[in-house]
Amino acid sequence: MKKKNTLDLNELRKGGILKQRQKDYFILRTRIPGGYLKADVLPKFAQIAKKYGRGYIHLSTRQAIEIAWVHIKDLDNLIKDLKKLGILKGACGPRSRNIVSCPGLSVCRFGFTDTEKLAAKFDKRFFGKDVPKKFKIGLTGCPNSCAKPQENDIGFMAVGEPECNLDLCTSCTLCAKVCEKVCARGKREPAVIMDKNKKPVYRREFCFFEGDCIRVCPTGAWKLKQTGYTVFLGGKVGRFPDLGHKIKEFASEEDIFKITEKAIDCYNRIAEKSERFGEAIERAGIEEVKREIL
Amino acid sequence: MTEIKTNQTLDLRNTPCPMNFVKTKLKLEEMNKGEVLEVLLDDGDPITNVTASVKEEGHQILKVEQLKNYWKLIVKKI
Repeated sequence: MKKKNTLDLNELRKGGILKQRQKDYFILRTRIPGGYLKADVLPKFAQIAKKYGRGYIHLSTRQAIEIAWVHIKDLDNLIKDLKKLGILKGACGPRSRNIVSCPGLSVCRFGFTDTEKLAAKFDKRFFGKDVPKKFKIGLTGCPNSCAKPQENDIGFMAVGEPECNLDLCTSCTLCAKVCEKVCARGKREPAVIMDKNKKPVYRREFCFFEGDCIRVCPTGAWKLKQTGYTVFLGGKVGRFPDLGHKIKEFASEEDIFKITEKAIDCYNRIAEKSERFGEAIERAGIEEVKREIL
Repeated sequence: MTEIKTNQTLDLRNTPCPMNFVKTKLKLEEMNKGEVLEVLLDDGDPITNVTASVKEEGHQILKVEQLKNYWKLIVKKI
């Protein structure tokens, strides 16, 4: 009996090693939560690309580094070197993937949450979980949605609710001005309007929670009252794209971990093999799924 | 209402974003701490963007006032 090649492709895929178009060559996919990587670690990727690949890297759409052209006979040594260097392998096949995030609060003027820390927490708890097809988690720091949470199986968008201290207000009207612009684009009535005494009136039901009024306010009368997360479920792109359903607003950090855990359980229970969560939700009904996971 | 004494004036009407902010920032950089700059800005994005950006740079906004079809922004350099 011929027992030359003992490589289990599925086992490799579990560890982020994908078969390449060319015979005997593989792509290494890595794990970089939220796309945050220490500069000190970066040269290690270059080292691997030169030693095992062809001296270049590719940045995946999920913010991780991929290194192509690893020969089958080098895989064992590659895996040893990765361990030694502390480079984490990514996920492919029926598993949850690299966490995607925007830069977030630490540097972005719009951010409401520290996406680097949040991505690290999500990575620790939910990376590489077994699922029917794949499971993508996206985190974004504000309603600008740069990290596109709506395209993920589960996505979280940080939002901020404003409140106004009228004692500090000088009736400059800039808050109403920026609000009117946002709400017009969002096809809503403005959430901030000026009353007859030229003081702002906040109408929460029209608010997009993006914080423009807070940023523009010259006196700091508008402040952040609370932050939280809008939760999107069942989004995907691929051959049959669909944006996720908005299932909750102002969820707490604790809530979103619980919701993610329940969502993965629900996905495993209701989906057929090779089916994405969004497709399974379509069959089961979003209301039914919401009842289960919220 | 007491008039605010200004040290410098910039007329940035017809100067689009983000150049209006860049010019405001450069002017503030050459001024002394505590001095006051008056900036004239167009309605729409110019007044809202420049106000938000100047505030982010840590300066104090003393007054924002609409005059016909343009705005007056008064900033104290911090």
